[in-house]
Amino acid sequence: MQAALPKATGRVRRRRQRTRWFDWMTAPALIVLAVVVGYPIVDAVLVSFTNYSLYTPLHHYVGGVNYSHLSNDPVFWKSLQNTVIFTGVSVAVGLLLGLGLALALERLRGPWRFLRAILLTPWAVPVIVTAFLFEFMFTNPGGIINSLLETAGLIHSPLPWLTSPTWALTAVIIANVWMQAPFFLLIFTAALGGVPDEVIEAARIDRARTWSMIALIKLPYLRNAALVGALLMIIQNFNNFPLIWAMTTGGPAYGTSTLVIYVYQLAFTSFKLGYASAVGVVWLVLLMIITSLFIRTLRSRPA
Amino acid sequence: MSLTVDKPVPEQPAGRAAAGTGRRRWRPSVGRSIVIVLVGLFGVWTLWPMYWMLSTALKSAKEATNLSPTVWPHTITGANFHELFGGTLPFSTYLVNSVLTSLIAAAVAVLISTLAGYSFSRGGYRLTSAASLVVLATQMLPLVVFIGPLYLLLLRAHLLNTYLGLIIGYTTFAIPFGAWMMKGFFDAIPREIEESARVDGYSRLGILFRVVVPLSVPGLVTTGVFVFMNSWNNLLYPLTLVSSNSRQTLPPGLLQSFSGTFKTDWGGMMAASLITSLPLVIAFFLVQRSMVRGLTAGALAGT
Repeated sequence: MQAALPKATGRVRRRRQRTRWFDWMTAPALIVLAVVVGYPIVDAVLVSFTNYSLYTPLHHYVGGVNYSHLSNDPVFWKSLQNTVIFTGVSVAVGLLLGLGLALALERLRGPWRFLRAILLTPWAVPVIVTAFLFEFMFTNPGGIINSLLETAGLIHSPLPWLTSPTWALTAVIIANVWMQAPFFLLIFTAALGGVPDEVIEAARIDRARTWSMIALIKLPYLRNAALVGALLMIIQNFNNFPLIWAMTTGGPAYGTSTLVIYVYQLAFTSFKLGYASAVGVVWLVLLMIITSLFIRTLRSRPA
Repeated sequence: MSLTVDKPVPEQPAGRAAAGTGRRRWRPSVGRSIVIVLVGLFGVWTLWPMYWMLSTALKSAKEATNLSPTVWPHTITGANFHELFGGTLPFSTYLVNSVLTSLIAAAVAVLISTLAGYSFSRGGYRLTSAASLVVLATQMLPLVVFIGPLYLLLLRAHLLNTYLGLIIGYTTFAIPFGAWMMKGFFDAIPREIEESARVDGYSRLGILFRVVVPLSVPGLVTTGVFVFMNSWNNLLYPLTLVSSNSRQTLPPGLLQSFSGTFKTDWGGMMAASLITSLPLVIAFFLVQRSMVRGLTAGALAGT
């Protein structure tokens, strides 16, 4: 009886604990995020209905004017288009490069693993440095890339890498791929390690050749990694500020202006905080759609 | 060809099997050499920019700005590095500011993320999954959208141009990422280990810090390094929240310096880039192994 009593209370206590709503351990994180993220986001939505400007503290409610103005703003549409191109091309090329490399380097053993570590380094190079590096290599005249292309006979006259809108977007994407392909290499290498040995063995006994082994056995196992990695990078590239800002500040002629650059310029160069917030909110809704897709993918994954 | 079919292959018709074995004898070598060439090309593409940075940093000012660039520095000089620390550019101030803010942000974020990550990993509360999803979603919000309101918030709190303001800014991305990364590391620690400590009468906090945390040191370090890297890389927050040169960090400091007076000082720019990269590349190599695990666990949410 004496032993049974504390056991019973213990069970009651545990049951009560199980039905508790909130864990204090998450409180510091949630409080900080509520102040530095939650409040500003709500504020941004409210400000988007005003003509708030950092010039004058006086502002008033203007309704949906910012939003209707937005649909007729060519720079907004140009930036949206650039965002989609920048994100789409970077992620697609980075993913394919990373996948190919991960498969090619899969059987590295011993000291050769160091090779993979070296190929991952660009990912550790600071973004600002990547921007400087490529700005320097693309510079015209005197840039090494034009110089190499001319020596190889691939071009006859130097390309206007950072001075023409189209080439500038290409240049920024090239720098971005250099920086991000290693991420996909990392993700796919980890995922390849998760392919069960028995499956590989069975396929080998069935005389699967390299290509069919990759296409039929390994790729299905990499599907989840590809999906999650791509979504993560889509979100990150949607928000990529430092690379583009440091390389081109969105120019020339809005050629590399993405939504993130445009919002920043509106808020801190033109000081139109109200309008900047409206652009931000529209973009937030776009991102939330992608994010919910992301979370659903994570949740539907078998453990 | 038909001679090769000396063993019966039941599932496959003889012709295909023969073609298969016949092809197997030469195909791997061609395939492998193509793979080696491609990997080699990728290696050049990866390493070239970093070599170019080093090479230019060691060149004299005259050679670095030469319109026909030289692949090897003709004369190796440390002048660019001397200029950084003894010249008019407040490089060492930027460096100290970057180190201080990134280190403190990493320490604060690791502490808060450990608590939240442990709670997310062990669960047992009704709001656990809701809270963890809110935190995950925060990670994907574009910083630019709420930078305006955050700026005003810090303005009212008199925290602009301070380390504290900058660190508060960094927590917006550090805590969400850190909490999920720590959750991934804690998930890998079996709950049974905690049972005996619970029997010994440890509190939840005691179990976390005396049993679980000592087992998760690689996870703590990896999360810390990750937050450090992201803070070191951040351009947007110091650019907007700091205007005084004495509190500026490396990315905006270098960007402002090398787009104004020192515009074509490529040698100086590359020397600064090299020093800016070193801490991150070293940190990356130190935690490279657990980084792979942390990323797949944290960013890919529990594989």
